[in-house]
Amino acid sequence: MSARYGMVIDLDRCTGCGSCMIACAADNNVPVLPKATARTGLTPLLVRKVSNALEGTARREAFIPIMCMHCEHETPCVTVCPQQAVEVDKATGIVMQMPQRCLGCRYCMTACPYHARYFNWWDPAWPAGMEKSLNPGVAVRMRGVVEKCNMCHARLHSAQEKAAALGKREIDPADYVPACVEACPTAAIRFGNLADKNDPVSQEAHSPNAFRFLARLGTEPKLYYKSSEAWVRALAESASGPVPENKSSEKKLAEVQHG
Amino acid sequence: MKVTRRDLLFWSAGAAAGLIVSPVPWKVLDDTSIWSQNWPWIPQPARGPVDVKQSSCTLCPNGCSVRVRMAAGWPVGISGVATNPISRGALCPLGFGAHQLNWHPQRLRTVRHGLSTSTWDAARAAFAKACSEGPVMVVDGYPGRAASHVLETFAQKHGGQYRVIVGPETRALAPYETMSGVPASALGYDLEHPQTIVSFGAPLLDGWGAPGRFTRLWADRAASSTDPQLRLIQVDPTLSRTAARAWQWIPVKAGSEAALAAGVARVLLEERLVPARGPMPPMTLAEAAAQTGLTTDSIRDLARTIAARTPAVAIANDDNPSIAALNVILGAVGTRGGIVRRSKAAKPYISADAPLPSLRAVLIDSSVPWDFTPQTDAEIFRFAAWDGGPTDGGPRNGAASNASSKPADWLLPAPGFLEELTDVPTAPALPVETYAVAVNLVKSPHQTHSTAGFVNSIDPALPTTETIIHTRCADLFREHSGTLHAQETTPVAKLASAQKLEEQLWKGAVWVGSELAEPHRSANFRCELKEWPTAAASSRSENWLAAWPAPVLPPLAAKLYQDSSLREPPARRNS
Repeated sequence: MSARYGMVIDLDRCTGCGSCMIACAADNNVPVLPKATARTGLTPLLVRKVSNALEGTARREAFIPIMCMHCEHETPCVTVCPQQAVEVDKATGIVMQMPQRCLGCRYCMTACPYHARYFNWWDPAWPAGMEKSLNPGVAVRMRGVVEKCNMCHARLHSAQEKAAALGKREIDPADYVPACVEACPTAAIRFGNLADKNDPVSQEAHSPNAFRFLARLGTEPKLYYKSSEAWVRALAESASGPVPENKSSEKKLAEVQHG
Repeated sequence: MKVTRRDLLFWSAGAAAGLIVSPVPWKVLDDTSIWSQNWPWIPQPARGPVDVKQSSCTLCPNGCSVRVRMAAGWPVGISGVATNPISRGALCPLGFGAHQLNWHPQRLRTVRHGLSTSTWDAARAAFAKACSEGPVMVVDGYPGRAASHVLETFAQKHGGQYRVIVGPETRALAPYETMSGVPASALGYDLEHPQTIVSFGAPLLDGWGAPGRFTRLWADRAASSTDPQLRLIQVDPTLSRTAARAWQWIPVKAGSEAALAAGVARVLLEERLVPARGPMPPMTLAEAAAQTGLTTDSIRDLARTIAARTPAVAIANDDNPSIAALNVILGAVGTRGGIVRRSKAAKPYISADAPLPSLRAVLIDSSVPWDFTPQTDAEIFRFAAWDGGPTDGGPRNGAASNASSKPADWLLPAPGFLEELTDVPTAPALPVETYAVAVNLVKSPHQTHSTAGFVNSIDPALPTTETIIHTRCADLFREHSGTLHAQETTPVAKLASAQKLEEQLWKGAVWVGSELAEPHRSANFRCELKEWPTAAASSRSENWLAAWPAPVLPPLAAKLYQDSSLREPPARRNS
């Protein structure tokens, strides 16, 4: 039976500590490039701070971890890739990025409505000796390819190998937990099989406060968010998804509120 | 056979068409991509068997249990350990990149004397000479370890002083030491039981205490609910991360926390909202309102809200005596859900921020935060794993500035992350006693020495860290109390020998004196509040970065915080 792995991120629990970002980057051998900026760096998972644009005691802030949404239907990056370097894995539902096939045309980056893809502008490099701290389960990506969150595919491989060694066809769910989920100190990020109705994450994805960013596009993202605050849920349908608080979230929110 | 121009064109076109429908160009393209990933200058992960070990993080005194994935003898991944009952599998954000710190470009690799490089022998000779010429002071930023015992014994033996630098959690408990005589290092917060927590600027969700303890508790009992089991009220001048997630945010003018505490206490006493009696604060409600920028009605509402759900406890971010006095009025001292005494054995420390006597030399342990610079003309020997660059020369905690202060005369390279065998005593502000051992999983690629090892080499008669750890394990076994938390939880009384206990601790287990659900409370912990204390300004909120003692950040953390605009790293810390 094929799984549909997905996440539910409870924004009421997110304190914006950034553990998920750092654990993700460390586990996936993301290089630290001095030349990279916020626009040109690699950040498979980025925590954005947003606000309700009000002042004083009425002001509210929230933190939104943004990564690949693993769209299920008409996946924009898959549709535009001329190299078949992106595909939705039939067995898991994970949108896979294969750097070996990528030509670096960046069509997928343009097509992605969530801005969750990043381009390797430089050869990966680390300070002298720091390459010894790289995760041996994840290959280092070369210059000139696009990359993104692949739900810690190396961890899925490990779980599959472990299951195979035990003569099992199905993995133990406890063996496959992405780094961000493992790192979250408040258990705000939960991971599970959305195709399994008995999975708590699947049930949570259908709770009243759950929502998906840009759901109107019909791409059926497998990342769900939850918030008890209406203004946070309103951001989900803003013109270009969540944007950082220090850029134009106020403007986007005003657009939503005033049509 | 004559080959015409037409034949040549036909042949070329056929070859081109054949090549296109063949897999060759696609294979070449694919292989080129793979080759280009394997250029010799592209770093490759270390090959070798992957091993998983367990230890404790020693980058700050919270001592969270860490699960370390090792490949080819080097740590390649860090995660939390769920069996630790305190950290409960959580780590601070910086812990996840800590294994990169040992390769940080600012890693201290050689002994430095002034602006030139020197040798360990020269440093030893200089320090031994200083010890023979006059009093020395040893400064420790992580008291209670076996290494701390070595340093204290050395200071006492050589007629010197042993002083400590403690974090904001312990500093906030100092007023209770004044009122009760019980050392602040023996006190902790029983946060597992209050129904209301009023934080006066303490970043409870952003780097206060052991990372997993309060964040997990808050997530279980307070998050995602408009009427939570635990009401977190954050008093903060700005909408901090804790304030953003709190049940209620009380914005006050910066430095007016003491006035708010006095105002709340006055309402509690006037309206008899609490059973305890105490001295009425001299400040009127109107004065408190004027100082805090709140209305008198909002202070009354706050007091009634606190009294409505008890046990309630107030947590300060610094040694603000007014907030300690509020806790006495609330009945939150020495009781369930308040401030409890966890140990009878702890002793008071002298802060390194206190005025210094005339000294010949100062020895600073690597656990001391980089921005601490003693206000003295003595020769300074500073151990550090990373060079934090020039400091601003200013002292901590708002003491008078001294332009002549200097980071160090001698900079001595100390072991980095997981490079030193040490023990992990109870973390600050915990209501229960804990003990763990952090084994040196990694061999330092540089010639480093710990501060304790350095003084051991000068005075070989002193006990070593290893022997003290051995003795402490034997003492724990002899007491036959507490439990050992590893994959399974085992009462110490059921262990066969002290050696078994020590073996488990070396493998990453954690000893806990009593369960968090039932922290030890001593009846003789009582605070006398004879008069309302003089108001003192609280310091600003601190957070993960401010609480981080190393002068550098893990490179990934620095990069990602910059890219996400999530945090502004302090200027003194470089990526």
